[in-house]
Amino acid sequence: MSQKSKHPHDFDCKDIESLQRYINGQGRIYSATRSGLNARQQRQLKRAVKNARFLALLPYGL
Amino acid sequence: MENQNYIYQAMFLLDNEEVRGQGFNATRDWVKATLEKHGASVDVLRLWGERSMAYTVGGRKRATYLLGWIHANQETVAAAKREMYLLGPVFRVLFLREDSIPEEELALGIQDSQVSIPDEVEEIEEEEYVDTKAEKAEAKEADKADKADEAKEADGEKASAKDAKVEKSDQPEAAEGEKTAAAKVKETSKEVTKEETKEEASSASESE
Repeated sequence: MSQKSKHPHDFDCKDIESLQRYINGQGRIYSATRSGLNARQQRQLKRAVKNARFLALLPYGL
Repeated sequence: MENQNYIYQAMFLLDNEEVRGQGFNATRDWVKATLEKHGASVDVLRLWGERSMAYTVGGRKRATYLLGWIHANQETVAAAKREMYLLGPVFRVLFLREDSIPEEELALGIQDSQVSIPDEVEEIEEEEYVDTKAEKAEAKEADKADKADEAKEADGEKASAKDAKVEKSDQPEAAEGEKTAAAKVKETSKEVTKEETKEEASSASESE
C-alpha cells in the first residue's frame, strides 16, 4: 500500500501557488519540521524558492 | 566535457517598454537570434506571461516573461547571458539545466503571441504622487496658519501677562496700605488698653 504524498514530487520555480504553501507571510521558507518534507524535498523546495525569488515571482522579504 | 550540450530551461524577463515599442514577436526574435548566434539551438520559445513582479527591478514593476527550452553548452549560455545583460530588452535571465524537455512544451514550440501590457499603473501612481504632493502642500499651509495663530496667541498671552504684572505691581502698594492701616488700628487699640489700665489703677488707689 503506497500512500499518495500530499507534497509535489518536483518543485518548480514557476509554480508559485504550490511554493507559497511553504513560505510564511514574511516570505521565509518553513523549516523541514514544519513543512513535513524530507531532506531531499526540502533542498528542492529551497532551490525552487530561491530561483522564484530571482525571477521576482516571490519576494525576498516583506 | 566543456563542449558537451545540455538541455536548459531559460526564463527571460523582458522590459515592458521595449516590448510595447517593438512588439513581442520582435523581442522574441532578438532573443532567439542572440542564443543562436552563440551556438545554441532553440527548441521552445514562448510567452509565459505578463505580470507584476514581487519587487521592483530597476524601477520596473511589471515584466513580460519569456520561457525557452534550448540545447546549449556552458560557454554558449555564459556568452549569451553576458550579451543579454549588456544589450537588448532582457533585464534578467535564468538558465536551469534540465534532464529533458517536457512533451507539452515541445508541442508548443516557437509561438507568436500578442501581449497586452497595461500602462495604467504608472499613471495611477503619478496621480497618487501628485495627490500626495498637493496634500503635503495643503498640510504645510495649514501648519503655517496654525503656527501664525499660535504666535498671535502667544503675543496676546504675553501682553496679558504684562498687564497682570502691572496689576500685581499695583497690588503690593495696596497691600502695604492695608498693612499700615491694620498696624494703626492695632496701635490705637494698644493705646486704648493702656489708658484703660491706667484708669483702673488710679480708681483702685483712690478707693484705698
